[in-house]
Amino acid sequence: MHRKDRGLIKELLKQTTPYDWLLLFFLIIVSLSGLISMKKFLPSGSLVTIEVEGREVYKLSLFQDRTVEIKGPIGTTVVEIKGQRVRIVESPCPNKICIKQGWISRGAIVCLPNRVVVTVGSGETTGGIDAITR
Amino acid sequence: MKKVLHILFSLTLAFLLLSCHKESDRIFKRSEFLMDTIVTVTVVSSSAEDADRAMNRVFQELKQMESLLNFFSTTSEISVINNAAGKHPVRVSDTTYNLLSLAREISEKTEGNFDITVGVISHLYDFLKKSHPSDSDINRLLPLVGYKKMELNSDKKDVFLQLKGMMIDPGGITKGYAADRAVEILKAEGIKAALVAVAGDIRGYGLKPDGKGWIVGIKDPRDSSEEGVFAILELRDMAISTSGDYQRFFIENGTLYHHIIDPKTGKPAKGLISVSVVGPKAAYTDALATALFVKGSVKGIKMVEALGYSAIIVDNKGEIHFSEHLKKMLKLLKHRISGSLED
Repeated sequence: MHRKDRGLIKELLKQTTPYDWLLLFFLIIVSLSGLISMKKFLPSGSLVTIEVEGREVYKLSLFQDRTVEIKGPIGTTVVEIKGQRVRIVESPCPNKICIKQGWISRGAIVCLPNRVVVTVGSGETTGGIDAITR
Repeated sequence: MKKVLHILFSLTLAFLLLSCHKESDRIFKRSEFLMDTIVTVTVVSSSAEDADRAMNRVFQELKQMESLLNFFSTTSEISVINNAAGKHPVRVSDTTYNLLSLAREISEKTEGNFDITVGVISHLYDFLKKSHPSDSDINRLLPLVGYKKMELNSDKKDVFLQLKGMMIDPGGITKGYAADRAVEILKAEGIKAALVAVAGDIRGYGLKPDGKGWIVGIKDPRDSSEEGVFAILELRDMAISTSGDYQRFFIENGTLYHHIIDPKTGKPAKGLISVSVVGPKAAYTDALATALFVKGSVKGIKMVEALGYSAIIVDNKGEIHFSEHLKKMLKLLKHRISGSLED
């Protein structure tokens, strides 16, 4: 049975023309471009959310340049939004890992010692819901 | 040679396929703090510049609107009208005039269940300090409530509150009105689809790039998490607003005090815990949700239906009722609301 299968595959490969490979290549490209276009349908991250000890203190636009000071348990963290990017400028934490992370335009910066989390997201809610009426 | 040509052909085809997506529609979203709440504008556009320009205009105009209509700002036109109560009429901008005539129109259509002149009593409820007016205060102030005592002169574009001490608080319609104005601006800017959410007052038009309408969830009135919803519906060229007892409240000696004040009693309305109204204009859905909540009965649903709007109601037993018209659009994630409010 297996030998028969192998034989069939060999026979198929023998019959493969450059056009078949071309078709395969074409299909790969089509699926790749599908993946890229999927990404474009996702909303661009434009909402900066700042949380202290799990409590949301700011929801800001990534498009509006500004600097805010956030009071955490060990001191003041300074967050700067500029040119559609965000960073932590000053922090009372010992290692300054959050400052070293530099500018981000997506994802998050976490300052564990001062319990500050800065997230750039779309503000999208769960489960494909575009907005909630409350 | 032939082989090379074929490869070139397929590469060109792939390039075309990829590049055509550059012109395809994308979703752009921006939120700002305005009108004491978060305003989120989501637009569908093939160009980031177009989306940005349109959103800039919306936020600019809403800021201006806020400065005219803010009840708490001493320089707003609303405050000027309130300060001139019983003294003289005040000439106002088109924005303020149109809002007040719309508010009056809805008051008439809802037999006074929506009434912006309740401001004189409602501002005495402080949900941060957990304080409320006494019964004697309410009884003293009730004669100052009544939309018929707000005179609007369409020729002079002025507003006059007949009695000294009267106060209008357009908070129950401003957010919806702002959402309508935002949609007007976005349409004028050539944006073919958008969703505007001024807090819970939401209006959407057009379709998303995936060909679907805007999916809106209705907050579960007894789920304290931000994301808890009990129903979802697809908005296509429609607005939706919700009024609920859970939005601003405190509990004192077992009595719930919330922010939706019945203009007839001066006290928080009873009977329902959440009302959502769906229909063409957000100013209407906003005000009608309040009116229906104040009416306090499931039978009130007919009042909004007579005006061409639909409603979803949660009564104080947690049962969900909705207009027949919404049967196909509405997807219930829960069939009953349970739990209680925690202070």
